[in-house]
Amino acid sequence: MAVSDEALMRAVRGGELPRLGVLFERYHLILFEFLSRVTGSRHVAEDLVQEVFLRILKYRATYRDDARFEAWMYGIARNARADYFANREKVVPLSQEAFQSPHRGPAPEAQIEQQRQSALLQIALMQLREDDRELIVLARYREMKHEDIAELLGINQGTVKVRLHRALKELRDTFMQRLERPLCDVKRP
Amino acid sequence: MRCEETITRFVDDLKGSLGVPERRELAVHLASCPACRAQTEGLSQTWEQLAGIPEVQADSAAMRVHFQVMLADNVRQSARIPPSRGCIRSWLERHVSSQPLLQVCAAVLLLLAGIELGREMRPSGSSDVPALSQEVHNLQQTVALSLMQQDSASERLRGVNWSNQLDHPGNEVAAALIGALMHDANVNVRLASIDALTRFAERGVVRSAAIQALDVQSSPLVQMALIDFVVETQNRGAIGALRRLAQDNTVEMSVRTRAAWGVEHLEAV
Repeated sequence: MAVSDEALMRAVRGGELPRLGVLFERYHLILFEFLSRVTGSRHVAEDLVQEVFLRILKYRATYRDDARFEAWMYGIARNARADYFANREKVVPLSQEAFQSPHRGPAPEAQIEQQRQSALLQIALMQLREDDRELIVLARYREMKHEDIAELLGINQGTVKVRLHRALKELRDTFMQRLERPLCDVKRP
Repeated sequence: MRCEETITRFVDDLKGSLGVPERRELAVHLASCPACRAQTEGLSQTWEQLAGIPEVQADSAAMRVHFQVMLADNVRQSARIPPSRGCIRSWLERHVSSQPLLQVCAAVLLLLAGIELGREMRPSGSSDVPALSQEVHNLQQTVALSLMQQDSASERLRGVNWSNQLDHPGNEVAAALIGALMHDANVNVRLASIDALTRFAERGVVRSAAIQALDVQSSPLVQMALIDFVVETQNRGAIGALRRLAQDNTVEMSVRTRAAWGVEHLEAV
Protein backbone atom coordinates (compact mmCIF):
# COMPACT_ATOMS: atom_id res chain seq x y z
CA MET A 1 0.00 0.00 0.00
CA ALA A 2 1.35 3.39 -0.97
CA VAL A 3 2.46 5.73 1.76
CA SER A 4 -0.07 8.51 2.23
CA ASP A 5 0.69 12.07 1.20
CA GLU A 6 0.29 13.14 4.79
CA ALA A 7 2.77 10.55 6.08
CA LEU A 8 5.29 11.63 3.46
CA MET A 9 4.84 15.28 4.35
CA ARG A 10 5.28 14.51 8.03
CA ALA A 11 8.52 12.72 7.16
CA VAL A 12 9.66 15.74 5.15
CA ARG A 13 8.79 17.97 8.06
CA GLY A 14 10.81 15.68 10.31
CA GLY A 15 13.89 16.16 8.13
CA GLU A 16 13.61 13.39 5.55
CA LEU A 17 13.77 15.90 2.74
CA PRO A 18 14.35 13.44 -0.14
CA ARG A 19 10.86 12.03 0.47
CA LEU A 20 9.51 15.23 -1.02
CA GLY A 21 10.56 13.64 -4.30
CA VAL A 22 7.68 11.18 -4.00
CA LEU A 23 5.22 14.01 -3.47
CA PHE A 24 6.72 15.85 -6.42
CA GLU A 25 6.15 12.82 -8.62
CA ARG A 26 2.57 12.56 -7.43
CA TYR A 27 1.65 16.20 -7.77
CA HIS A 28 3.86 18.17 -10.13
CA LEU A 29 1.74 17.49 -13.20
CA ILE A 30 -1.51 18.06 -11.32
CA LEU A 31 -0.16 21.36 -10.03
CA PHE A 32 1.10 22.26 -13.47
CA GLU A 33 -2.31 21.72 -15.01
CA PHE A 34 -3.97 23.82 -12.33
CA LEU A 35 -1.43 26.63 -12.65
CA SER A 36 -1.30 26.60 -16.44
CA ARG A 37 -5.09 26.78 -16.61
CA VAL A 38 -5.19 29.58 -14.06
CA THR A 39 -2.29 31.63 -15.39
CA GLY A 40 -2.68 30.80 -19.09
CA SER A 41 1.07 30.41 -19.42
CA ARG A 42 3.12 27.24 -19.56
CA HIS A 43 6.33 28.98 -18.53
CA VAL A 44 4.77 30.75 -15.59
CA ALA A 45 3.15 27.50 -14.51
CA GLU A 46 6.48 25.66 -14.65
CA ASP A 47 8.15 28.38 -12.59
CA LEU A 48 5.33 28.32 -10.09
CA VAL A 49 5.45 24.55 -9.67
CA GLN A 50 9.09 24.91 -8.65
CA GLU A 51 8.18 27.76 -6.36
CA VAL A 52 5.46 25.69 -4.70
CA PHE A 53 7.83 22.83 -3.90
CA LEU A 54 10.46 25.27 -2.72
CA ARG A 55 7.90 26.81 -0.36
CA ILE A 56 6.82 23.37 0.84
CA LEU A 57 10.41 22.77 1.87
CA LYS A 58 10.84 26.22 3.32
CA TYR A 59 7.63 26.15 5.35
CA ARG A 60 7.58 22.42 6.10
CA ALA A 61 7.61 23.12 9.82
CA THR A 62 4.20 24.77 9.51
CA TYR A 63 2.52 21.64 8.17
CA ARG A 64 -0.04 20.49 10.74
CA ASP A 65 -0.75 16.85 11.49
CA ASP A 66 -4.45 17.25 10.84
CA ALA A 67 -4.02 19.02 7.49
CA ARG A 68 -4.79 17.27 4.25
CA PHE A 69 -1.62 17.58 2.19
CA GLU A 70 -3.36 18.35 -1.09
CA ALA A 71 -5.39 21.20 0.38
CA TRP A 72 -2.28 22.59 2.10
CA MET A 73 -0.32 22.36 -1.14
CA TYR A 74 -3.05 24.12 -3.14
CA GLY A 75 -3.06 26.87 -0.53
CA ILE A 76 0.66 27.35 -1.13
CA ALA A 77 0.11 27.27 -4.89
CA ARG A 78 -2.55 29.97 -4.68
CA ASN A 79 -0.29 32.19 -2.59
CA ALA A 80 2.63 31.60 -4.94
CA ARG A 81 0.46 32.54 -7.90
CA ALA A 82 -0.81 35.68 -6.17
CA ASP A 83 2.73 36.72 -5.19
CA TYR A 84 3.97 36.08 -8.70
CA PHE A 85 1.47 38.48 -10.22
CA ALA A 86 1.52 40.98 -7.35
CA ASN A 87 4.56 42.82 -8.66
CA ARG A 88 3.83 42.42 -12.31
CA GLU A 89 1.74 44.45 -14.69
CA LYS A 90 -1.87 43.50 -14.39
CA VAL A 91 -2.43 41.89 -17.73
CA VAL A 92 -4.44 38.85 -18.43
CA PRO A 93 -1.88 36.27 -19.42
CA LEU A 94 -2.91 34.42 -22.51
CA SER A 95 -1.03 31.55 -23.96
CA GLN A 96 -0.50 31.45 -27.68
CA GLU A 97 -1.27 27.78 -27.35
CA ALA A 98 -4.91 28.81 -27.28
CA PHE A 99 -4.66 29.67 -30.92
CA GLN A 100 -2.60 26.74 -32.01
CA SER A 101 -4.23 23.81 -33.62
CA PRO A 102 -3.32 20.53 -32.00
CA HIS A 103 -3.39 18.96 -35.44
CA ARG A 104 -1.02 19.52 -38.32
CA GLY A 105 -2.33 19.95 -41.82
CA PRO A 106 -5.77 20.98 -42.96
CA ALA A 107 -8.65 20.26 -40.64
CA PRO A 108 -12.30 19.83 -41.50
CA GLU A 109 -14.40 22.98 -41.26
CA ALA A 110 -16.30 21.76 -38.22
CA GLN A 111 -13.05 21.02 -36.47
CA ILE A 112 -11.71 24.49 -37.24
CA GLU A 113 -14.87 26.02 -35.84
CA GLN A 114 -14.57 23.91 -32.72
CA GLN A 115 -10.96 25.02 -32.26
CA ARG A 116 -11.98 28.63 -32.75
CA GLN A 117 -14.64 28.29 -30.09
CA SER A 118 -12.20 26.65 -27.70
CA ALA A 119 -9.76 29.50 -28.23
CA LEU A 120 -12.48 32.07 -27.60
CA LEU A 121 -13.65 30.23 -24.52
CA GLN A 122 -10.12 30.24 -23.17
CA ILE A 123 -9.89 33.96 -23.79
CA ALA A 124 -13.15 34.42 -21.94
CA LEU A 125 -11.85 32.24 -19.12
CA MET A 126 -8.71 34.32 -18.84
CA GLN A 127 -10.84 37.46 -18.63
CA LEU A 128 -12.69 36.30 -15.57
CA ARG A 129 -11.70 37.55 -12.16
CA GLU A 130 -8.86 35.45 -10.82
CA ASP A 131 -10.88 33.87 -8.04
CA ASP A 132 -13.72 32.99 -10.42
CA ARG A 133 -11.29 31.46 -12.90
CA GLU A 134 -9.65 29.50 -10.12
CA LEU A 135 -13.01 28.17 -9.00
CA ILE A 136 -13.88 26.94 -12.48
CA VAL A 137 -10.46 25.35 -12.91
CA LEU A 138 -10.74 23.53 -9.59
CA ALA A 139 -14.29 22.36 -10.27
CA ARG A 140 -14.01 21.53 -13.96
CA TYR A 141 -10.43 20.51 -14.63
CA ARG A 142 -9.33 19.32 -11.23
CA GLU A 143 -12.76 17.76 -10.73
CA MET A 144 -12.69 18.68 -7.09
CA LYS A 145 -15.75 18.10 -4.98
CA HIS A 146 -17.53 21.14 -3.62
CA GLU A 147 -16.54 20.21 -0.09
CA ASP A 148 -12.85 20.04 -1.05
CA ILE A 149 -13.05 23.39 -2.80
CA ALA A 150 -14.77 24.81 0.25
CA GLU A 151 -11.99 23.49 2.49
CA LEU A 152 -9.33 24.90 0.21
CA LEU A 153 -10.89 28.34 -0.11
CA GLY A 154 -12.04 28.53 3.47
CA ILE A 155 -15.69 29.10 2.57
CA ASN A 156 -18.80 26.98 2.96
CA GLN A 157 -20.16 24.66 0.29
CA GLY A 158 -23.21 26.82 -0.35
CA THR A 159 -20.97 29.76 -1.19
CA VAL A 160 -18.90 27.56 -3.48
CA LYS A 161 -22.03 26.60 -5.44
CA VAL A 162 -23.32 30.14 -5.73
CA ARG A 163 -19.92 31.48 -6.77
CA LEU A 164 -19.40 28.69 -9.26
CA HIS A 165 -22.78 29.37 -10.83
CA ARG A 166 -22.03 33.08 -11.02
CA ALA A 167 -18.58 32.48 -12.50
CA LEU A 168 -19.96 30.11 -15.08
CA LYS A 169 -22.62 32.61 -16.06
CA GLU A 170 -20.03 35.36 -16.37
CA LEU A 171 -17.89 33.07 -18.48
CA ARG A 172 -20.74 32.22 -20.79
CA ASP A 173 -21.75 35.87 -21.24
CA THR A 174 -18.19 36.89 -22.14
CA PHE A 175 -17.81 33.90 -24.41
CA MET A 176 -21.05 34.63 -26.27
CA GLN A 177 -19.97 38.24 -26.84
CA ARG A 178 -16.64 37.01 -28.20
CA LEU A 179 -18.33 34.45 -30.38
CA GLU A 180 -20.02 37.19 -32.40
CA ARG A 181 -16.67 38.72 -33.30
CA PRO A 182 -13.98 37.32 -35.56
CA LEU A 183 -10.88 35.93 -33.83
CA CYS A 184 -8.59 38.60 -35.27
CA ASP A 185 -10.59 41.26 -33.41
CA VAL A 186 -9.62 39.80 -30.09
CA LYS A 187 -7.41 42.18 -28.20
CA ARG A 188 -5.55 41.42 -25.10
CA PRO A 189 -6.74 43.67 -22.35
CA MET B 1 -39.27 24.35 -6.17
CA ARG B 2 -38.35 28.00 -6.57
CA CYS B 3 -36.13 29.46 -9.30
CA GLU B 4 -33.42 30.44 -6.77
CA GLU B 5 -33.03 26.86 -5.71
CA THR B 6 -32.12 25.79 -9.22
CA ILE B 7 -28.70 27.41 -8.78
CA THR B 8 -27.38 25.00 -6.17
CA ARG B 9 -29.28 22.04 -7.62
CA PHE B 10 -27.92 22.76 -11.08
CA VAL B 11 -24.33 23.12 -9.85
CA ASP B 12 -24.66 19.86 -7.95
CA ASP B 13 -26.00 18.26 -11.09
CA LEU B 14 -23.02 19.49 -13.11
CA LYS B 15 -20.73 17.75 -10.65
CA GLY B 16 -22.89 14.64 -10.69
CA SER B 17 -23.59 14.92 -7.00
CA LEU B 18 -27.35 15.41 -7.16
CA GLY B 19 -29.55 12.68 -5.73
CA VAL B 20 -32.29 11.07 -7.83
CA PRO B 21 -35.27 12.78 -6.10
CA GLU B 22 -33.60 16.20 -6.28
CA ARG B 23 -32.75 15.64 -9.88
CA ARG B 24 -36.33 14.79 -10.66
CA GLU B 25 -37.50 17.95 -8.91
CA LEU B 26 -35.03 20.00 -10.91
CA ALA B 27 -36.22 18.43 -14.16
CA VAL B 28 -39.85 19.14 -13.28
CA HIS B 29 -39.03 22.77 -12.53
CA LEU B 30 -37.02 23.24 -15.71
CA ALA B 31 -39.83 21.75 -17.77
CA SER B 32 -42.19 24.39 -16.44
CA CYS B 33 -39.83 27.41 -16.30
CA PRO B 34 -38.49 28.57 -19.69
CA ALA B 35 -36.12 31.16 -18.12
CA CYS B 36 -34.38 28.65 -15.85
CA ARG B 37 -34.33 26.10 -18.64
CA ALA B 38 -32.66 28.48 -21.08
CA GLN B 39 -30.06 29.49 -18.54
CA THR B 40 -29.17 26.00 -17.37
CA GLU B 41 -28.99 24.71 -20.94
CA GLY B 42 -26.58 27.48 -21.85
CA LEU B 43 -24.42 26.95 -18.78
CA SER B 44 -24.37 23.20 -19.30
CA GLN B 45 -23.18 23.75 -22.84
CA THR B 46 -20.38 26.06 -21.66
CA TRP B 47 -19.45 23.55 -18.97
CA GLU B 48 -19.09 20.87 -21.65
CA GLN B 49 -17.17 23.19 -23.96
CA LEU B 50 -14.61 23.84 -21.23
CA ALA B 51 -13.44 20.27 -21.75
CA GLY B 52 -12.47 21.25 -25.31
CA ILE B 53 -9.79 23.74 -24.22
CA PRO B 54 -6.60 21.81 -24.89
CA GLU B 55 -4.33 20.98 -22.02
CA VAL B 56 -0.89 22.57 -22.16
CA GLN B 57 1.81 19.93 -22.19
CA ALA B 58 4.30 20.17 -19.37
CA ASP B 59 8.01 19.61 -19.82
CA SER B 60 8.02 17.09 -17.03
CA ALA B 61 11.67 16.08 -17.48
CA ALA B 62 12.91 19.66 -17.16
CA MET B 63 10.67 20.29 -14.17
CA ARG B 64 11.97 17.14 -12.54
CA VAL B 65 15.58 18.18 -13.05
CA HIS B 66 14.98 21.65 -11.61
CA PHE B 67 13.21 20.12 -8.67
CA GLN B 68 16.02 17.66 -8.03
CA VAL B 69 18.58 20.47 -8.15
CA MET B 70 16.55 22.49 -5.68
CA LEU B 71 16.02 19.49 -3.42
CA ALA B 72 19.67 18.48 -3.51
CA ASP B 73 20.67 22.03 -2.53
CA ASN B 74 18.29 21.92 0.41
CA VAL B 75 19.34 18.45 1.49
CA ARG B 76 22.98 19.51 1.38
CA GLN B 77 22.29 22.64 3.37
CA SER B 78 20.25 20.82 5.96
CA ALA B 79 22.98 18.20 6.34
CA ARG B 80 25.42 20.99 7.17
CA ILE B 81 23.19 22.68 9.71
CA PRO B 82 23.37 21.12 13.17
CA PRO B 83 20.06 20.21 14.76
CA SER B 84 18.27 23.15 16.27
CA ARG B 85 18.77 23.60 19.97
CA GLY B 86 16.13 26.27 20.22
CA CYS B 87 13.61 24.02 21.95
CA ILE B 88 16.06 22.78 24.57
CA ARG B 89 17.37 26.26 25.16
CA SER B 90 13.94 27.77 25.57
CA TRP B 91 12.90 24.96 27.91
CA LEU B 92 16.00 25.53 30.01
CA GLU B 93 15.42 29.25 30.02
CA ARG B 94 11.85 28.81 31.14
CA HIS B 95 12.42 26.21 33.81
CA VAL B 96 16.00 26.36 34.95
CA SER B 97 17.70 29.68 34.40
CA SER B 98 16.22 31.45 37.38
CA GLN B 99 16.98 28.68 39.88
CA PRO B 100 20.71 28.11 40.65
CA LEU B 101 20.22 24.72 42.34
CA LEU B 102 18.29 23.44 39.38
CA GLN B 103 21.01 24.79 37.10
CA VAL B 104 23.65 22.69 38.84
CA CYS B 105 21.45 19.60 38.84
CA ALA B 106 20.61 20.09 35.18
CA ALA B 107 24.29 20.52 34.31
CA VAL B 108 25.21 17.29 36.12
CA LEU B 109 22.33 15.41 34.51
CA LEU B 110 23.26 16.69 31.06
CA LEU B 111 26.89 15.74 31.64
CA LEU B 112 25.94 12.20 32.68
CA ALA B 113 23.52 11.91 29.80
CA GLY B 114 26.22 13.11 27.42
CA ILE B 115 28.72 10.54 28.69
CA GLU B 116 26.13 7.77 28.41
CA LEU B 117 25.15 8.86 24.94
CA GLY B 118 28.78 8.94 23.91
CA ARG B 119 29.24 5.37 25.11
CA GLU B 120 26.12 4.25 23.34
CA MET B 121 27.09 5.81 20.08
CA ARG B 122 30.81 5.09 19.93
CA PRO B 123 30.83 1.40 18.92
CA SER B 124 28.53 1.74 15.93
CA GLY B 125 28.92 5.41 15.20
CA SER B 126 25.95 7.43 14.05
CA SER B 127 24.01 5.43 11.49
CA ASP B 128 21.91 8.36 10.33
CA VAL B 129 24.69 10.64 9.17
CA PRO B 130 26.32 8.22 6.69
CA ALA B 131 22.87 7.21 5.43
CA LEU B 132 21.93 10.82 4.87
CA SER B 133 25.26 11.56 3.21
CA GLN B 134 24.76 8.60 0.90
CA GLU B 135 21.27 9.78 0.07
CA VAL B 136 22.54 13.28 -0.70
CA HIS B 137 25.31 11.83 -2.80
CA ASN B 138 22.91 9.67 -4.80
CA LEU B 139 20.64 12.60 -5.32
CA GLN B 140 23.48 14.82 -6.54
CA GLN B 141 24.62 12.13 -8.92
CA THR B 142 21.09 11.71 -10.27
CA VAL B 143 20.84 15.44 -10.79
CA ALA B 144 24.15 15.59 -12.64
CA LEU B 145 23.19 12.71 -14.91
CA SER B 146 19.72 14.11 -15.56
CA LEU B 147 21.07 17.52 -16.43
CA MET B 148 23.57 16.03 -18.85
CA GLN B 149 20.70 14.47 -20.78
CA GLN B 150 18.77 17.69 -21.29
CA ASP B 151 18.10 19.23 -24.70
CA SER B 152 19.36 22.61 -23.61
CA ALA B 153 23.14 23.04 -23.88
CA SER B 154 23.19 25.32 -20.85
CA GLU B 155 21.49 22.62 -18.80
CA ARG B 156 23.99 20.02 -20.00
CA LEU B 157 26.80 22.39 -19.11
CA ARG B 158 25.25 22.74 -15.69
CA GLY B 159 25.18 18.97 -15.41
CA VAL B 160 28.87 18.68 -16.25
CA ASN B 161 29.72 21.38 -13.73
CA TRP B 162 27.44 19.74 -11.19
CA SER B 163 29.44 16.53 -11.51
CA ASN B 164 32.47 18.43 -10.19
CA GLN B 165 30.67 18.81 -6.88
CA LEU B 166 30.36 15.08 -6.34
CA ASP B 167 32.66 13.74 -3.69
CA HIS B 168 32.84 10.20 -5.02
CA PRO B 169 31.38 10.14 -8.51
CA GLY B 170 30.44 6.71 -9.79
CA ASN B 171 31.20 5.06 -13.10
CA GLU B 172 27.90 6.34 -14.51
CA VAL B 173 29.13 9.89 -14.13
CA ALA B 174 32.45 9.11 -15.82
CA ALA B 175 30.57 7.38 -18.65
CA ALA B 176 28.22 10.36 -19.05
CA LEU B 177 31.18 12.75 -19.19
CA ILE B 178 32.92 10.61 -21.80
CA GLY B 179 29.67 10.59 -23.76
CA ALA B 180 29.54 14.39 -23.54
CA LEU B 181 33.16 14.68 -24.69
CA MET B 182 32.66 12.37 -27.64
CA HIS B 183 29.19 13.31 -28.83
CA ASP B 184 27.92 16.59 -27.44
CA ALA B 185 27.06 19.07 -30.16
CA ASN B 186 28.12 22.03 -28.06
CA VAL B 187 31.81 22.95 -27.83
CA ASN B 188 31.45 24.45 -24.36
CA VAL B 189 29.95 21.24 -23.02
CA ARG B 190 32.78 19.21 -24.56
CA LEU B 191 35.38 21.57 -23.08
CA ALA B 192 33.76 21.42 -19.65
CA SER B 193 33.62 17.64 -19.82
CA ILE B 194 37.40 17.51 -20.39
CA ASP B 195 37.92 19.54 -17.23
CA ALA B 196 35.50 17.36 -15.33
CA LEU B 197 37.21 14.19 -16.51
CA THR B 198 40.50 15.26 -14.94
CA ARG B 199 39.50 13.66 -11.65
CA PHE B 200 38.90 10.36 -13.44
CA ALA B 201 42.19 10.52 -15.30
CA GLU B 202 43.57 7.42 -13.62
CA ARG B 203 40.80 5.27 -15.03
CA GLY B 204 41.77 3.32 -18.13
CA VAL B 205 38.48 3.98 -19.87
CA VAL B 206 38.98 7.73 -19.55
CA ARG B 207 42.56 7.54 -20.85
CA SER B 208 41.38 5.54 -23.85
CA ALA B 209 38.50 7.93 -24.48
CA ALA B 210 40.87 10.91 -24.47
CA ILE B 211 43.05 9.23 -27.12
CA GLN B 212 40.03 8.39 -29.21
CA ALA B 213 38.72 11.94 -28.86
CA LEU B 214 42.02 13.33 -30.20
CA ASP B 215 41.32 11.46 -33.42
CA VAL B 216 37.72 12.55 -33.85
CA GLN B 217 37.40 16.04 -32.41
CA SER B 218 37.72 18.78 -35.00
CA SER B 219 37.22 21.91 -32.91
CA PRO B 220 40.63 23.56 -32.32
CA LEU B 221 39.59 24.60 -28.82
CA VAL B 222 38.67 21.05 -27.89
CA GLN B 223 41.80 19.69 -29.56
CA MET B 224 44.02 22.06 -27.56
CA ALA B 225 42.25 21.16 -24.32
CA LEU B 226 42.63 17.45 -25.09
CA ILE B 227 46.32 17.81 -25.79
CA ASP B 228 46.81 19.55 -22.46
CA PHE B 229 44.69 16.89 -20.80
CA VAL B 230 46.73 13.92 -22.05
CA VAL B 231 49.99 15.70 -21.25
CA GLU B 232 48.91 16.68 -17.74
CA THR B 233 47.70 13.17 -17.04
CA GLN B 234 50.92 11.74 -18.54
CA ASN B 235 48.94 9.57 -20.91
CA ARG B 236 51.73 8.08 -22.98
CA GLY B 237 49.24 6.06 -24.94
CA ALA B 238 48.25 9.31 -26.64
CA ILE B 239 51.62 9.82 -28.33
CA GLY B 240 50.45 8.17 -31.56
CA ALA B 241 47.30 10.28 -31.76
CA LEU B 242 49.30 13.42 -31.03
CA ARG B 243 51.73 12.57 -33.83
CA ARG B 244 48.88 12.13 -36.28
CA LEU B 245 47.48 15.47 -35.21
CA ALA B 246 50.85 17.20 -35.55
CA GLN B 247 51.25 15.89 -39.08
CA ASP B 248 47.70 16.57 -40.27
CA ASN B 249 47.71 19.45 -42.74
CA THR B 250 44.01 20.07 -42.32
CA VAL B 251 44.45 20.88 -38.65
CA GLU B 252 45.10 24.43 -37.51
CA MET B 253 48.77 25.28 -37.12
CA SER B 254 48.47 26.24 -33.46
CA VAL B 255 46.96 22.82 -32.71
CA ARG B 256 49.65 21.01 -34.68
CA THR B 257 52.38 22.92 -32.83
CA ARG B 258 50.76 22.12 -29.51
CA ALA B 259 50.46 18.44 -30.48
CA ALA B 260 54.15 18.31 -31.38
CA TRP B 261 54.93 19.86 -28.00
CA GLY B 262 52.77 17.17 -26.38
CA VAL B 263 54.66 14.38 -28.13
CA GLU B 264 57.97 15.77 -26.92
CA HIS B 265 56.67 16.15 -23.43
CA LEU B 266 55.21 12.66 -23.15
CA GLU B 267 58.25 11.00 -24.69
CA ALA B 268 60.34 12.60 -22.00
CA VAL B 269 58.16 11.18 -19.22
